Amino acid sequence: MKEFEYLKPDSIEETISILFQYGQKAQILNGGTDLIVEMRDKIAQPEYLVDIKAIPQLNRITYNKQDGLNIGATVTLNEISNSKIVQTNYPILAEACKTVGSYQVRNRATLAGNICNASPAADTAPPLLVLEAKVNIISLVGEKMIPINQFFTGVKKNVLKKGEFVTSITVPPIKDKWTGAYLKQGRKKDVDLATVGVAVVCIRDEVRIALGAVAPVPIRAFKTEELLKGKAIDEALLEKIVKSAIAEVLPISDIRSSKEYREEIIKILLKRAILQAKGGHTL
Amino acid sequence: MLKYVGKSEKRVDGVKKVTGYVRYTDDLKLSGMLYARIKKSPYPHAKILRIDSSKAEKLPGVKVVITGKDVPIRVGLYLEDKTFLAIDKVRFIGEPVAAVAAESEEIAEEAVSLIEVAYQELPAVFNPLEGIKPDAPLIHEDLGKYKHASIILPQSGTNISNHYKIRKGDTEKGFKEADFVFENEFYVPHIQHSAIENHCAIAQVDPEGKITVWAGCQSPYAVRRTLATAFNIPLNKIRVISPAIGGGFGGKAGTTLEGIVIPLAQKTNYRPVKLNFKREDIFVNTFVRQAMYAMIKTGVTKDGKIIAEENTFYWDGGAYTEYGVNIARAGGYASTGPYDIPNVKADSICVYTNHPVGGPYRGFGMSEIHFAIEQNLDIVAHNIGIEPLKFRRKNALKDGSSTVTGQVLENVGFVECLDKAAKDIEWDKRIKKVSATKYRGKGIAGMYKAPSMPNNVGSSAILKINEDGTVNLLVTAMDLGQGSDTVLTQIAAEVLTVPISRISIMTGDTDCTPYEWQTVASRTTYCCGNSVKRAAEDAKNQMLRLASLKFGISEEGLELKDGQIISKIYPDKKVKIADLAMGLTMPDGSGVHGPIIGRGAFIPPDVKDTDKETGQGDKPVAFWTFGVQAAEVEVDIETGEVKVLKISAAYDAGKAINPELVCAQIEGGIVQGLGSALFEEMKIEKGKVLNPSFVDYKIPTVGDIPEMKISIIENPEPTGPWGARGIAEPCMVPTAPAIANAIFDAIGCRINSLPLTAEKVLKAIKSKNK
Amino acid sequence: MKHKIRFTINGDVKEIEIEPNKTLLKMLREDLDLTGTKEGCGAGECGACTVLVGNKPVNSCLMLAVEADGKEILTIEGLSDGTSLDPVQESFLKHNAIQCGYCTPGMVMSAKALLNRNPHPKEEDVKEALAGNLCRCTGYQRIVDAVLDTAKKRGKK
Repeated sequence: MKEFEYLKPDSIEETISILFQYGQKAQILNGGTDLIVEMRDKIAQPEYLVDIKAIPQLNRITYNKQDGLNIGATVTLNEISNSKIVQTNYPILAEACKTVGSYQVRNRATLAGNICNASPAADTAPPLLVLEAKVNIISLVGEKMIPINQFFTGVKKNVLKKGEFVTSITVPPIKDKWTGAYLKQGRKKDVDLATVGVAVVCIRDEVRIALGAVAPVPIRAFKTEELLKGKAIDEALLEKIVKSAIAEVLPISDIRSSKEYREEIIKILLKRAILQAKGGHTL
Repeated sequence: MLKYVGKSEKRVDGVKKVTGYVRYTDDLKLSGMLYARIKKSPYPHAKILRIDSSKAEKLPGVKVVITGKDVPIRVGLYLEDKTFLAIDKVRFIGEPVAAVAAESEEIAEEAVSLIEVAYQELPAVFNPLEGIKPDAPLIHEDLGKYKHASIILPQSGTNISNHYKIRKGDTEKGFKEADFVFENEFYVPHIQHSAIENHCAIAQVDPEGKITVWAGCQSPYAVRRTLATAFNIPLNKIRVISPAIGGGFGGKAGTTLEGIVIPLAQKTNYRPVKLNFKREDIFVNTFVRQAMYAMIKTGVTKDGKIIAEENTFYWDGGAYTEYGVNIARAGGYASTGPYDIPNVKADSICVYTNHPVGGPYRGFGMSEIHFAIEQNLDIVAHNIGIEPLKFRRKNALKDGSSTVTGQVLENVGFVECLDKAAKDIEWDKRIKKVSATKYRGKGIAGMYKAPSMPNNVGSSAILKINEDGTVNLLVTAMDLGQGSDTVLTQIAAEVLTVPISRISIMTGDTDCTPYEWQTVASRTTYCCGNSVKRAAEDAKNQMLRLASLKFGISEEGLELKDGQIISKIYPDKKVKIADLAMGLTMPDGSGVHGPIIGRGAFIPPDVKDTDKETGQGDKPVAFWTFGVQAAEVEVDIETGEVKVLKISAAYDAGKAINPELVCAQIEGGIVQGLGSALFEEMKIEKGKVLNPSFVDYKIPTVGDIPEMKISIIENPEPTGPWGARGIAEPCMVPTAPAIANAIFDAIGCRINSLPLTAEKVLKAIKSKNK
Repeated sequence: MKHKIRFTINGDVKEIEIEPNKTLLKMLREDLDLTGTKEGCGAGECGACTVLVGNKPVNSCLMLAVEADGKEILTIEGLSDGTSLDPVQESFLKHNAIQCGYCTPGMVMSAKALLNRNPHPKEEDVKEALAGNLCRCTGYQRIVDAVLDTAKKRGKK
């Protein structure tokens, strides 16, 4: 790794000040499971590394029925998947966190890190999309809240500008009974990147669908959701849905999978996710 | 009654390993150590026009920069076609063209980026079928000038570095007489050993000019020999020490990075130089398993007897085939699999390509060819309406059968293995459909393998009896994890009648431990085991002689029992080993003989060359090992995903010196085989390895393992220690075809190439449904 | 610029000045001579570098050395006290769950961490805990058996 200066602020104020001061030269060190590999491979070469793990407000999970769930930036994926609060109230998020990497990786990797890394295949993205999460961002200019489906702007690109960083992710409460599913297809059952990821949430007549690893960004399939609104699910509708979903995405052939196979898997996983959600445990 | 042999004794190196105490090469830190990195070629085939290392040399902290001209001598185990750094041209992407030694790895890395190399690209070859065409670009123009072992037949002026032939009987006649003739093709890609320990080598030159190399290597003596040739140094001036090895599988056989650290170390004013390969380097710069195209033509009678077979194997040997040529040969002399076929024509052809270097990988060609052979058998069986297991039994090699080289066999346990593996998987019980989307199937595959080694290579062992009757055993057979340290200790214990705890084994130092050709070929228990047995018997005989002198009883009247030489008739006439260890003291106080040193050496008896044209010979190998695996799989017909539920394995080990360790080897082999069956593939595009990391080269994890049922059959190999023969490689060979055959049983789809990915399976299902 | 950090390693307090661009793995191996923890890939894929930080198993190749400040670290060397082995280690030996030994330290640490947080794991819990530890030699079954057996023995006590 190239040499850099390591900074460990213990407050948000100090952090945004540092980020403003160093601009492009600074990068946040959170879980490090993506960044350190990039630094080892010299893809990332920050001059200043800003470790945010000493900031106390960032490592909390809070929940109440009115405001929903708030997950601090430094909360790890294992902490989320092991949290009774998340398991009870947002089970698909707990499940999705569990599918990232290995147990060791999940002890360091964070939800904020997973979305900021903005891989099209990020496992936490499809669930966050269907749960209509919001990303809390702060900078010297102030605080703002960006809906998750505006957060990803391209392959490994997010909406953050220099000087901004994510302090937490808010998952709003769902006022009605709902069920959901997150299904991931990889080359292997464990410890693999998603070649296709599908998240579905069913709230009464509404069905929300999000797809990962099949477009430059993880996406909500809004057009497809329109087809489902208020309709009973049958084989014919499922066929229509999967066709529509494929039209909304842009799967590619890469080292992990071909475009054609991804399209096949989208069809299968989407059907299975909807059926699982429909037949699943209600909240 | 055997006391130690045949028992599942605990590993003698277990505690060292479980505490993290044992040192592998990268754990060694020598004072004044420098760090090396290599400059790699970005082109698959190109002339080197110019190398300018001046900027690199000026970088503070850089001590040495070398290029090919510093290491010009060609080396190779069976064919001398490689140099450690490229000279004049590069032949694969990643080939080292220069190396740097510096105060730290970071400085060495920076220096490498400052070396400027000008290339002129040449047309390249990426496929052996392209490489054999008459107008293909030549990768080794001087092939005709290369020195090679007599068993290798390179074709000058081509890209063919070996063409091994079998001409047995009359295949033309056989095909005419057959009721059916089938032709099938198969393909296996390049894969990588992926031992968890990375390759690492350290070299240091002392003021007397003696070179010491530390490297985790399967073959310290082969490394010593190659380095001596490459650097024109007498053998007594090179010492190769192998610390513990974290997995080999063939990837640490031969000589790879050891040849780069020496020329660096020769210029560092006696400071040691360490070269540590990162995982990405290992994928590109160490051996890979050769890819292979197989064409099999089978002539069979309607009652299921195979009477003619024509096998053509084209091996993608990569840029240098110094080792790969023998793999092609092994593929040739085993080309039909463990079946008795009267008329055989085989051509096993090793072809140069501009791919990473092909080399030995567990199985040495057997896994590759059996993927083709065992699927082919199933295809033929299904087509003529004979049940696949029955078809195998009918054609199997048995006692009195002759192999593809005309060798007549005895002590053949193949049918016994077939029966056991089939029984353990409940072959006749099939649950075809578990649900609307999950189908199950069972498949079986057999295999055989002989150790692929020159006929006249040897093993040796030295055994020192200490003053207190404990023993130091010295060998250069390397424990790669398979447990040879333990097994060889058991053998010594058995002959000397001394408990295992009183024997300490030392390995891997060419200055102290005696010659061992290589730890490859599943030969160690057999070859080194025999050497250790002989060394122990030699020590025993010396002690019997001394005891005979002491008691005035003839040697025939004495025996070694429970650590003592004792008279068979007069039990009061006994003497402990300890009291003979330093020789015998006579009643008048004089001493006789001196310290007991047991020496043992072994070459497999009567192994001869085969005919160059016909490949026929009546004993071309030391022994054959037979084995069978059967698999049960479950296929998700919507996604194509294959789950391997259970594998049963039966191997004829002759005599399991340590049954637990044999089972452990087989379990590991099955899972490694499963990896090659379902996931593993080096994705190489125009010579570039696209997936040189575990992110995209997936090997099995704990979640992938099937239920495994292992059986050891014991038909003794007469020339093996207590009848033992090797199983280390055989246990990986039939896994992939067993799984492929099981997939066919489940869904009626045949997939003729590895890996059997979900994508391929789904595609096959959809084609079938059209 | 080197940072002064203070942490506990295998029960001993250690103060060291360390450069920020060094991983925890490299510091353990090079500066503390604790070579039991291995580098198999340097990218968090193989688990050979697994250590416990605050009782949690992590890939030490994905942590900077400076992040060890204020933490409690346990490596394979800290498991046995030189006279007796940890029950996990005993179990690995009993079940022949070791061949080349290179993945063993990482495996043992992952197993130890599992049993610390879940004294009665089911087989699927063991497989989840060890999914990030690659082994090429053993085929994993004996490792799983060793971990389950350790838990069973503990349960009896």
